[in-house]
Amino acid sequence: MGDVIFALQDVYFSYLGRYPVLSGATMDIKRGEKITVMGANGTGKSTLLMMLDGLFFPDRGSVAAFGKALTEAAFNDPAFSRDFRSRVGLVFQNPDVQLFCPTVREDILFGPLQLGVAADQAQRRLDELVRLLDIRHLVDRPVHQLSVGEKRKVAIASTLAVEPEVIILDEPTAGLDPLTCRHIVDFIIEANAQGKTIITATHDLHIVCEISDAVYLLTKDKKVTRYGNPDDLLADRKALQENNLIHIHRHRHQGSEHAHPHYHFDHHHEEA
Amino acid sequence: MMLGRGNFVERSVMGVLAFLKDAVFAQDRASSRGFLQSLDPRIKTAAFLVLVISCILAKGIPALLWLYVACLCMALVSGIGLGFFLIRTWVFIPLFSFCIALPALSSVFTPGEPLWTVDILFVHLVITRTGFLGVLVFLLRVTTSVSLVVLLNLTTRHAVLLKVLRTFGIPRIFVMVLGMCYRYIYLFIEILQNTYLAIKSRTGTCLPQRKGRQVVAWKVSALWQKSLHLNEEVYNAMLSRGYTGEPRVADEFKTHPRDWAWLVLVFVLAGVSLWAM
Repeated sequence: MGDVIFALQDVYFSYLGRYPVLSGATMDIKRGEKITVMGANGTGKSTLLMMLDGLFFPDRGSVAAFGKALTEAAFNDPAFSRDFRSRVGLVFQNPDVQLFCPTVREDILFGPLQLGVAADQAQRRLDELVRLLDIRHLVDRPVHQLSVGEKRKVAIASTLAVEPEVIILDEPTAGLDPLTCRHIVDFIIEANAQGKTIITATHDLHIVCEISDAVYLLTKDKKVTRYGNPDDLLADRKALQENNLIHIHRHRHQGSEHAHPHYHFDHHHEEA
Repeated sequence: MMLGRGNFVERSVMGVLAFLKDAVFAQDRASSRGFLQSLDPRIKTAAFLVLVISCILAKGIPALLWLYVACLCMALVSGIGLGFFLIRTWVFIPLFSFCIALPALSSVFTPGEPLWTVDILFVHLVITRTGFLGVLVFLLRVTTSVSLVVLLNLTTRHAVLLKVLRTFGIPRIFVMVLGMCYRYIYLFIEILQNTYLAIKSRTGTCLPQRKGRQVVAWKVSALWQKSLHLNEEVYNAMLSRGYTGEPRVADEFKTHPRDWAWLVLVFVLAGVSLWAM
């Protein structure tokens, strides 16, 4: 976990030059790490991930990946672009955005074929992924016929098909049933065990410990704070409450109403 | 869902939705086991093209009947129920064609030997033999051509049909854009449907025509903005997976001897209809 593969230095980003999203973000992500980016809705988690995937570029500051600056000019070089795209894969928050081909098969094959992988090798990757993610029955189906959980699995397969070193996932468990959520968490842990660097944006506190070596918190004032490990963040109730990650929960207890801070991590431990 | 009798827009949207859902349902037949489903889609499409061209060139009623019966036989051996197939092919287009061809029956447009005479109010109409035969040939030609195209559509998945276009020299980028249109039209229809349900849940009744038109205008604008936003996001998703402006796609089609045998048979069928009848 020694070498830094992503380095963000004092990054500022705003939409239309008016609405600030990131203000002075500084991050170092090392090879093989599991990183989680946390924050309430609208704090810029997706924007940050887009930046790490070389889709957005900062107004000020610098983003570097694998020792090279990520700039629009750098992506004009086809060799650099191909190398970067084959090393970093992003699973978008909305699978309807990511799955743009008419069928699941074409969507999974899209990435490898664009990156120059031979057709028979791309087919082999597809066969492996449908077995790994148990989606063989979906391969020839049109994407619009799939459920949200199925779409999410196919979106992950379409990213994994390029065999990236770094997998970036934007809220991968949002809106999923508990079993599918569990599959995704298991997949993240397994991919990391195989040496992949995993960067996940989420506000699901109950999965943070499992999927993170370190946590970054995006605060409402558009700053980024690094917590050494997830327990440090989970222990910082003030930060969690200030950033909408826990709330005051009211319920009835033995005939009387009572209120306390509530976050779903509690349930997770109680069940265990 | 309750529909307002006078709400034209709502009925139109729901009608389009029902049609699309029906199209999705029909696609299940394309994935089932059957003779036409088992053929290479490129050869199958070429064969249907040959049959449609024969249909256009065929002059006699026996030739057209021969092609139509062949089409029905192909539907049967491909697991398409005749009732389902006839309803899909006869209900709309041939009836519409009959309305277009109706004037050609009369001696006013097609002079010739009188077959029947019809008195409507003060108008004395003479239906001529030439007119009747002309309309019959026209109807048979339309019905057979439509039936062939519907059969191809029913036995081939839409996504595969799009891929086949590449075989006929259509540029990849064009085929890809078509595929994306096909993919996203369902998403937008779903958004529209949910919007109408949301409006209904809040108004609790059918909107007056004027208000309805306003709501449609808002929706058109909102959908336009949503599609623009989606367009940017999808482009980012394509870039993220290595797209550089020239799409690369896999060609998975494989031909077998039976595909070629089938093509030869189709040429024989077309030849018989053109020269022997």
